[in-house]
Order: sequence, then C-alpha cells, then structure tokens
Amino acid sequence: MECREQHLLIHSFLDGDIDELSNHRLQEHLRDCAECRQYLRELQKTVALVQSLSHVCAPSDFTNRVLAQLPAPSGMNRFSAWLRKHPFVTAAAVFFFLMAGSVSATWIERDQTLQVSSNSLDQLRIDRARNLVVVPEGTTIEGDLVVRNGSVEVQGKVQGNVVAIDGKVFLASTANVAGDAESIEAIFDWIWYELKNIGNNLLPIAP
Amino acid sequence: MEFVEKRLTERAKRGDREAFAELVDIYKDKIYQLAFRMVGNRQEAEDIAQETFLRVFANLHTYDESYKFSTWIYRIATNLCIDRGRKKKPHFSLDEEADGTEGLDWYSRLSSNEKTPEEKMVTRELQDTVQEALTQLSPKYRSIMILRYIEDLSLQEISDVLKLPITTIKTRIHRGREALRGKLQHM
Repeated sequence: MECREQHLLIHSFLDGDIDELSNHRLQEHLRDCAECRQYLRELQKTVALVQSLSHVCAPSDFTNRVLAQLPAPSGMNRFSAWLRKHPFVTAAAVFFFLMAGSVSATWIERDQTLQVSSNSLDQLRIDRARNLVVVPEGTTIEGDLVVRNGSVEVQGKVQGNVVAIDGKVFLASTANVAGDAESIEAIFDWIWYELKNIGNNLLPIAP
Repeated sequence: MEFVEKRLTERAKRGDREAFAELVDIYKDKIYQLAFRMVGNRQEAEDIAQETFLRVFANLHTYDESYKFSTWIYRIATNLCIDRGRKKKPHFSLDEEADGTEGLDWYSRLSSNEKTPEEKMVTRELQDTVQEALTQLSPKYRSIMILRYIEDLSLQEISDVLKLPITTIKTRIHRGREALRGKLQHM
C-alpha cells in the first residue's frame, strides 16, 4: 500500500476522525512500515510541543483597563442601571406615582352635586338649598355617614364616623358620634383620608 | 456555563457594565493567550485583546444569541490578529510613551513584562523555538493551529469561528501540522 495514502489516514487518525475499517488498515500498515511509524511519531511530538506552550494570562489590571476605555454611559443608561440596582425604591416610586395619580384624579374630577352615603338615608333630613345634611334629634344612624359637597349638622346619634368632604361638620349639643367626625377641605386632607382608608382596608383588625 | 454567559450577554446588551466586566474576566486570558501566540509579543497581544473587548462592547447589539458567545468573541479576536499582521505597523520606538502609562517608556515596560523568573532557561528556549515555528506559519494556518491546540477548540467550533467549511479546517490542520513537523522534528 502506498505511504502517501497512509499519511492522509494518519492525519485523520490524529483528528480522531477515522472510521474503524480505515483505522484497522492503518494499524496494519504501521506494523510493517517504519517510515510511517516515524511520521506519526513526529506529528504526535509536534502536537505535544505546541500544547506544551505555557499558558499565559492577561495582566492583572486588564479588566479595569478595558472598562476605563469604554465610552461614557449615556444618562438614560445610568438612570436605568440605578433603577435596576434599587428595585425596592423603584417599586415604591411607581406605587406612589400611581396612587397620587388616582387620588388626585378623584379629587379633581368630583362634581359639585351633593352626595350622601349612609345606611339609613331615610332618617336624614337633606336641605338642598343650603347644601346641608341634618341628622335630626332623636334619630340614630347606623354605620358611617359620608357627605360630599355639603356640610353635616349632627343633632342625633351616629354609630360610625361622620365625614364631610368639601364641607363642614357641625355637632349640636345633643349630638352623639361614636366614631370620628372630620371635615375634608384641602387636597392634602383628601390624600391623607384616602391613605388612611387604604391602611384601614389592608389592616381590618386594627381599630 | 453557557447559561451564565447568556444571562451576562443579555445584561451587557442592555448597557450593564458589571455584566460586561464579568464577561471580560471570563474571556480575558483566552483572548490574551490567542493574541499572544498569534503575534508573539506581550504588548501587542494586550492591545489586540483590549481592542477585542472594546469591539465586543460596541457591537453587542449585533451579537446573535443563537451562536455561542465564545464563537463570536474568538472570531473578532482572530480577525483582529490577522489584520494586525497584514498591516504590520513600523516598529515601536523604544523611547515612545506607551498609551495610558504616563511616565513609563518601553524600557521599563519591557523589564516588568518580559521576565518571568520562575521559568527555567531550558523550557524557555524550547518555548521560544515552538513560538518561532508558529510565527513562521502564515496567519491562516497559525490561527487554526492555535485555536485547535492551545485554545482546545473542536474542529466544528473552529469551523464556526472562521465561518469556513469543516473540510477546509481539516485540510489546514493537516498542512499546519505538516509544516510545524518540518520545523520541529529535530528537537
């Protein structure tokens, strides 16, 4: 068999890329041919020499030197990187942004008509001309009484809170309010009131 | 490993410099080594390695994640090495100041870089001979021999890096081995 053909097989053999039949033929040839054995040995030595080159490492401050050459980060990137590093602050900011939005929207979009919410509407006396809701003497209102765009005059008994939004709460000497009586006139009061409601809803056990 | 790299490249793509720094840390030795064996000189190797990472950073948006990151970065580095050899710059003046090392000229850099006292003289000579044999190969064979036997890439990986058919890679490895054998057989 010709040795040149065997040289090709030897290279395939070194690449681990030889089928079983060719490998068998090659091994048989190598047994008889000293020249090809020598050729294989030299190639193996060559590969071993290249592989024996010591591994070199990049200088120790290499990474810093690369980073120092990067273009300056754009403002947008720096901002988003900061946000990514502070996920809690980001979440809180988003929460407050949306909260403030919805609360002020309800404050701004309110209409001017008198609104009353209570469990016992039939017991109330509503004076539209003066925008006044009266809890007459001798009556008892169950639960909260909330009035928007008007004032409340309490002469009787209320077993919950009395709230007047954009109005005042008048308590007569005969009045008896089990909860709080409050009047909300400015947006800050309004936001505080909404936040308190959220708090109360989230923590139903708390008084 | 590949999963970690995927996460890092995604983060680096969005401009996260910490993630990019981690990628540099993972690949700096491999790339520096490839460059050093290609050009045979520490300073030039460092320049090429730095340039490789700067190009990676600048072109991250073009990186196709269906390929391995290593394939991409090896391609950039190999091309830079081959280009560098093509337009071989006139020799550096030894008195010239090196970039970013104010006050240090090449004499002081050479003395700090070139000496590795723990290397024994004999191994040193052997290494120099092998490096010299590599340097004498033309770049298209040299790069393949380095990727195969120093960086330990498979034939398939080399074919991906160089975007050449695997049969071409095999032929070049055969010829490269043959040429090196001619230079190293007397050792």
